[in-house]
Amino acid sequence: MFDRVDAFVRDVRDLQSEEALAAALGEIARELGFRYFALTHHVDLRASSAAIRLHNYPAGWAEWFETQSLGTSDPVHRASNVTSVGFAWSALSEMIALTAGDRQILNLARREGIGEGFTVPAHVPGEAHGSCSFACATGERFAGEHLPLLQLVGAFAFEAARRMRRIRLAKGPVALTDRQRECVMWAARGKSDWEIARILGISEDTVGEHLRHARERYGVGKRTLVAVHALFDGTIGFVDVLRR
Amino acid sequence: MPILIEDGLAGPPGNPTLKAMFEDRKSVFVDLLNWDVPVLSGRFEIDEFDDEHATYVIVADEAGDHLGSARLLKTTRRHILGALFADLCAAPPPRGPDVFEITRFCLSRRQTACRRRSTRNALVSALVRHALCSAIATYTGVAELAWLQQILAFGWACRPLGPPVRLDCGLVGALAIDIAPETPALLAANGIWTPFAPAMPAAEAAAPVAEAA
Repeated sequence: MFDRVDAFVRDVRDLQSEEALAAALGEIARELGFRYFALTHHVDLRASSAAIRLHNYPAGWAEWFETQSLGTSDPVHRASNVTSVGFAWSALSEMIALTAGDRQILNLARREGIGEGFTVPAHVPGEAHGSCSFACATGERFAGEHLPLLQLVGAFAFEAARRMRRIRLAKGPVALTDRQRECVMWAARGKSDWEIARILGISEDTVGEHLRHARERYGVGKRTLVAVHALFDGTIGFVDVLRR
Repeated sequence: MPILIEDGLAGPPGNPTLKAMFEDRKSVFVDLLNWDVPVLSGRFEIDEFDDEHATYVIVADEAGDHLGSARLLKTTRRHILGALFADLCAAPPPRGPDVFEITRFCLSRRQTACRRRSTRNALVSALVRHALCSAIATYTGVAELAWLQQILAFGWACRPLGPPVRLDCGLVGALAIDIAPETPALLAANGIWTPFAPAMPAAEAAAPVAEAA
């Protein structure tokens, strides 16, 4: 079966449309024993047109998934944020604390025909988390022997989708200047503009300007949010902020 | 950032950049990742492949301190994928004068997250540039799958050599990266490519070839 995965990896490199990728992904998933796949960014799909979202879930479940904006609260997505390699859904309860709401979601999925599944997390520093999941129909056998191959298929499919999205959006990641980054880092450590000015040896007004530009680049209005965004995308690190 | 290409190691490291590299390698691979690899004098992570046939691609700061590096091994000789991890390949591991193995990809922990990212970008770019200058068509390597998405996101043409396998250190797999004239543009589209200033004239044989960046 590895030859099949090798061919998939070479094929998706040249695919130009998300429809073509979805078709190729659906086909290889089925050959590896999984009827459904879902390749998605973990963001509120209603709020972000830029997010990747490809799947072949049955209509009823897909609609629920989107109207409930499960992108960020889905237990499978939450679990994939705590690991960097693939996991079977049966291990969910060992990975995160499942709430009553989570169990309800899992039951609903089962009722809509989604059985056991396997999720490959897709974390690229500086970008929203994502994942590629593969699921059986309820009652179908879970082809555990193919999980190493699914791990590869998920990762390469996600990168192909990411490339297509980048071409669609044609804009790069948020980049702060070194000075803006330093100001954001000190702001994240709770320093005021005046304190940052003293630390960096520049004027308070200049600090204000740097932080204003940083807010504009992230498209947010509060310095706390700039810090959160910059931590999330790796522009500043927890080590920098927590260092004594 | 200055880039150094060091050829081989015929004895204990004399130059301070190499010393710092071996110390940072200990910090990353032994102290952080708990790899079971030899440590020399309690300070330097140096193994049997650190010999006169290895090539080091190093990103240093202006003062020559090590920021990040990778070790390249000839696949025509004994190397890690061929000797220790051949089972990770569905076919025999790729070998040849134009195939080199990337090992010990290391980013110094003595820098901030942001600086580490620019060092990583400079190192990946330096590896591609070195390949294009040295007629290397393919890099191979063994990687933890936890890093795979990030490796793919550099944008270069990467492919798996076999199904990943779960070992003590995690899920690992063998990869090949094909380098071609368009590779810098692929890296650039992902914000990775770090342009270099034109190479400075090569210094005398024993000294590192430095290229300003």
